Amino acid sequence: MTRFLTPWETGLLAVFLATLALNASFAPEFLTVQNQINLFQLHIEKIIVALVMTLVIVNAEIDLSVASIMGLSAALFGYLVNAGTPAGLAILVCLAAGLVAGAVNAVLIARVGIPSLVVTLAMLIGFRGLARVLVKDTSLGNFPTWVTDLGQKGLIGPIPLSLLLFFALLILLGMTLHRSGFGRQVIVIGTNAEVARFSGLNVAKVKTVLFLLSALISALCGLLYAARLGSVRGDTALGFELDIITMVLLGGVSIFGGKGSMVGVFLSILIILNLRNGMGLMNLTGHIQTGVIGVLLIASVLLPNLLADFRARKRKDA
Amino acid sequence: MTQPVLELIGLSKSFAATQALKDMSLTILPGEVHAIVGENGAGKSTLIKIMTGVHQPDTGTIRVEGQSVTLRSTQGAQEAGIAAIYQEPMVFPDLNVAENIFISNRAKGRIMRWSEIYAEAESLIAPLGVKLDVRRAASGLTLAEQQTVEIARALSLKVKVLIMDEPTASLSAHEVARLLDIARALKAQGVAVIYISHRLDEIFRIADRVTVIRDGQHISTKPVAEVTEDGLVKDMVGRALESFAVKTAANPHGETLLSVKDLSRAGVFQNITFDLHKGEVLCLAGLVGARRTDVALSLFGIAPATDGSITLAGQQVRIATPQQAMDLGIAYVSEDRRKLGLAMPLPIFANISLASLKKLLNPFGLIDRAAESAMAETYRKRLAIRSPDSLIEVGKLSGGNQQKVMLAKWLETKPRVLIFDEPTRGIDVGAKAEVHAIIRQLASEGVAILVISSDLPEVLALADRVLVMREGRQVGILPIEEATQERVIALAAGQATSERPAA
Repeated sequence: MTRFLTPWETGLLAVFLATLALNASFAPEFLTVQNQINLFQLHIEKIIVALVMTLVIVNAEIDLSVASIMGLSAALFGYLVNAGTPAGLAILVCLAAGLVAGAVNAVLIARVGIPSLVVTLAMLIGFRGLARVLVKDTSLGNFPTWVTDLGQKGLIGPIPLSLLLFFALLILLGMTLHRSGFGRQVIVIGTNAEVARFSGLNVAKVKTVLFLLSALISALCGLLYAARLGSVRGDTALGFELDIITMVLLGGVSIFGGKGSMVGVFLSILIILNLRNGMGLMNLTGHIQTGVIGVLLIASVLLPNLLADFRARKRKDA
Repeated sequence: MTQPVLELIGLSKSFAATQALKDMSLTILPGEVHAIVGENGAGKSTLIKIMTGVHQPDTGTIRVEGQSVTLRSTQGAQEAGIAAIYQEPMVFPDLNVAENIFISNRAKGRIMRWSEIYAEAESLIAPLGVKLDVRRAASGLTLAEQQTVEIARALSLKVKVLIMDEPTASLSAHEVARLLDIARALKAQGVAVIYISHRLDEIFRIADRVTVIRDGQHISTKPVAEVTEDGLVKDMVGRALESFAVKTAANPHGETLLSVKDLSRAGVFQNITFDLHKGEVLCLAGLVGARRTDVALSLFGIAPATDGSITLAGQQVRIATPQQAMDLGIAYVSEDRRKLGLAMPLPIFANISLASLKKLLNPFGLIDRAAESAMAETYRKRLAIRSPDSLIEVGKLSGGNQQKVMLAKWLETKPRVLIFDEPTRGIDVGAKAEVHAIIRQLASEGVAILVISSDLPEVLALADRVLVMREGRQVGILPIEEATQERVIALAAGQATSERPAA
C-alpha cells in the first residue's frame, strides 16, 4: 500500500524489459510507432476490461460474464444497425443493455448474496445465448463508416480512440484503487468483508458499483471490438474472460482479494502484449503463444508460493 | 526426589534479529500443575512451540523422564508424551466425539472396531468427570466440550505432559470451574499439566508451582503458596503497576443519554431495559450464551431489534444498519479482532481511518494521505501503540496493541456511546491496565460506556452499575456497591445450577 514497486512488480518490470530487448533484437521493425500501436490495438478490448477486472478481483469477487456481455453488446449493435436503427442510438441502447446486465449481476451478488463465481458463470452462458439468438448463424456488418473509422483509424495522430480510452482508464482506475476513499473500501472489503461491515462500510453498495462498472465497460469494449472488426458474430469475444483474468493474476493481484496494484497489472499487460507480438514477429503460431502464456501464469502462481516457502525454510534453519 | 517428567535446560531461540528465548530452563514434575505466566511477547508461545516440536531450539537440551530427546514435529512430541490444547480447539464438526478422540491415533490399525472405540472413548472421558455422549456429532459441542474432546484425545496418546494454552479465554465462569476440575483429575492420573493463562485467579486456584517469564528469560519458579498476585504482576512486568484497574472516584452521573426499553429480538433476547448516563460505565455480565453480544449488535445495527424502543438524547431512534448507529454516535468495539475488528494485512493507519474515511476525502473523493497519517500518529502516541510507525501491518502487532488500534478506529468517530465487547480478552496484564485506564478516562470525558465482559474482576473494577443477563433475559441491575462476585454469579447462573441448556 505504501511502496512504489513490490518485489513482484520489480520482477515483472525485469521480465518486461527482457522481452522488449529480445523483441527489438530479433525484429528491427518492432520498435516502430506503428508496431507499438498495433500491438496494443490487437488486444485493446481485453486490456481495457482487465483494468476493471483488477478492482473486481481486489474486492475478492470475480466477473466471468465480461466476454459474454461484450459479445451481447456487439451482437445487439449489429442487429439494431441492420434493422435500420441509427448507429448513435444503437450505441446508447447497447450501453444501457450493458448496465442492465450489470444490474442483474449486482442484485444477485450484492443483495441476494449468491457467490459471484456462480452468478457470473450463469450469466456467461445466458448472455452468450442471447448474443447467438440475435445474430443467428451469420455475421452482421454494414456499419456506417464513422463507426469503423473510430474503431480502426487514429483519432489524435495515429492514436486510435480505444488506446486513448485505455490510458485514461488506467490512470483513472489506478487513482481510484490506490488513492480514493472508494478504492480503500474496495481493498478492505476484499481483505475482510465482515470487518468492513462492522466498520460501517456499505459493502453491498461497493459491490454494486463494481459490477455495474464492469458490465458497462464490457459493453463499451464489445462496441469497440465490433467497430474494429467491422462485423459481429454470435461468438464475438468468446473466451476473452480467461485472457483477461490471466492478465490480472499475472499482475500480482491475489485471487483471494485485498491485494494487488494497477502498476502490476499494467506491467503484466505489457509483458503479454510484447510476448504475443514478439512471437508473432518470429512466426510462432497462436497455439504456441497461448502455451507460453499459460506457462507464465502457472509460474506467476507458483513463484510467490515457492519464494515464501523458501524464506520460511531459511528462517527455520537459521 | 521424584524424577522430573520434563526438563528444559538452557534453551535459546532466535528469529532473525529477535531473541525469543534466552537460556530458558524449566523442570516439570509428574502430577503437578505448573503455571507459566508472562506478558504477551514474553516468549510463552515460543516455549510452547518448542515443547510441542513446532520449533527447534538453537541451543539447549530437552529431557523427558531423564532421556534427552529431539522433538522434530508435533507428532514427535506426542510420541515423547507431550501434547497441547489451545483456546480454540481443533475438532472436526462432522465426526462424532469418539472419532475425534481417535483421529490421530494410528495404533488403532486399519479396521475399526466401533464397540471397542466407543468403550475406550468413554473410559477416557469418564475419569474427567464430564458427561459427554461419545456417539454424538462434534458440530453442536460447546467450546468447553470441544476442549474435553481434545484433552481425551491427548490422553488416548498416553501423554505425560499436557500443555493448556489460555484454555479459559473464551469460557464462562462455571465452564472454567469444570475445566479446573478436569485439570485436577489429570493431576490425579499422574499427568503433568502446564497451565498458561492471563487470569491470575485461576492460577491461584489450580497451580502447584508458578513460573514467571519475561523478555524470553526465566524470572522465577515458586510454589504458588509462596507468591502473591502483586508479586507475580511485578515479576511479569518488571515493575510495580500502580493498581490493577485504576478507578476514579465515583462518577457524578450526567444526564441520561441512551434509554433502552423492552428491547427484544425474536428468539434471541427479550425485554432489555436500562438507562445509560453520560460518563457512566455499565457492564453487561452473564455466562457465555447469555446473549449479551446480541444486545450490543442490535444497538449497533448489525442485527436490529424486532421490538422495544431506543431513545438517544431524548430522541426515539431506529437503528437498522451500522452506518445509522455511527451517525447517531454509537460505536462498537468487537470482541473478535481477527474476524470482525481489524483488517490484519493492512497497515495501522488504514485500520485507524477505516470508520472515518469520509472526513479524509477531498472534493475528488481522494484520501488526504497527510491528514490520514497525522491521524494515525496522534493515536499511536496517545494510546501508546507500540510500533515504530503506523505503516506496520496490524497483524504483526501483539494482541494488546491490536486492541488499541481497534479502539483508535472508534475514538476517531467521536462516539457518544461506546460499546466494548470483551475489551481485554487475550491481552496481557500491562495492556489490560492501560485499556482499563483508557475506558475510565473516556467515561470521565462524558462518553457513555457499555462493557460486555466475562471477566468478573474486570467487571467489578470498571463498572458503575452491572446489568446481569441470563439466557436472553435481563435478571437484574446492581449498583456497584451491591455487586459482589457471588451475587453476580448467582444471578447469572440462576438459582438452580441447572444442566447446560440444549444449544
